[in-house]
Amino acid sequence: MPEPAERRFVPSSPQSGPRRLWKAFTSRPDGGQVVVAVLIGALGFGAVLQVRADEGDQLSQARRSELVQILSDLNQRNGRLEDEVAELQAARRELQSGAQSEEALLEQTAIRARQLAILAGTAPATGPGVVVTIQDPQERVQARHVMGAVQELRVSGAEAIQLEGGNGNVVRIGVDSYFLESDGVLTVDGVAITRPYTLTVIGDPAALNASVLFLGGNKEILEESVVEERDELLVDALREPSRPQYAQPVADEN
Amino acid sequence: MIPAIGLLLGIAAGLMLDVQVPLTLQPYLPIAVVAALDAVFGGVRAVMDGVFDDKVFVVSFIANVLIAAFIVFLGDQLGVGAQLSTAVIVVLGIRIFTNVANIRRHLFHA
Repeated sequence: MPEPAERRFVPSSPQSGPRRLWKAFTSRPDGGQVVVAVLIGALGFGAVLQVRADEGDQLSQARRSELVQILSDLNQRNGRLEDEVAELQAARRELQSGAQSEEALLEQTAIRARQLAILAGTAPATGPGVVVTIQDPQERVQARHVMGAVQELRVSGAEAIQLEGGNGNVVRIGVDSYFLESDGVLTVDGVAITRPYTLTVIGDPAALNASVLFLGGNKEILEESVVEERDELLVDALREPSRPQYAQPVADEN
Repeated sequence: MIPAIGLLLGIAAGLMLDVQVPLTLQPYLPIAVVAALDAVFGGVRAVMDGVFDDKVFVVSFIANVLIAAFIVFLGDQLGVGAQLSTAVIVVLGIRIFTNVANIRRHLFHA
């Protein structure tokens, strides 16, 4: 297909274009070339400046309508991001308050667990109370008397009780403690306790002291025991925590 | 030879020197660069045609740049700067294409 431009184009000399370009490139330079070089150098300089300016601030090149468009875009995006910030902050507050209430609940539970551990005898306890020493040289005090004394002390508000025998065995008295007598030796929870008995009781000292006067209504205990009130007592014998075998906690219905 | 060295020197100077384009000249520089490019391609084509003349090149170069900048300036004054600079770029682009097409014919005979 003949191109019209091909016919219009008539070389002004028999030399081909590339050869003329090469000749111009390699020919001896004259004054005119210097001016051309200066202008082309200025072009290169300006082009590089423009490219570098474009790399930096695009906004300075933008027209007013473009700027308005960009501004409204940015405003929209800003609004969306602010919404997102508010959402995330609300979520953060929620989580924080949730964590705080959970922490408080955990602390309360821990306190309650410590209190229950003292009552169950699985944790050592300290506080004011009385020490009841039953010498009983004539061996008149029997297991049922000791049990009666413990009951009486409990009624008077004893919170932690431990029983120490002359043989050095110590038993923390718990809800399931049992008192037996085998061959004239007191056995509490399967541990043999010999005379003299020492009951260390934490509770209101005055109330406990008064209760000893009534200890199960038996005069044997009353006659053989010595009661000392103390401001600071330590009950450090521990019981093994027992797991209820049949009783299950009732599900909390709230 | 010397023009090629001049181009390299100009590019090197633009890269080395940290020159900020003055704010008043900023809208005109891209147009001026395109106009100068047009003049340069026209010059190369003239060399290949064997009709190159220093004087013509210098005058066309400077006139191109000044007229292009002036048209954009006029457009900015009239409030149609964006449209007019687009028009100038289009026209110069067409001219550059034409010149490059001529050069291509010289180089590849096609």
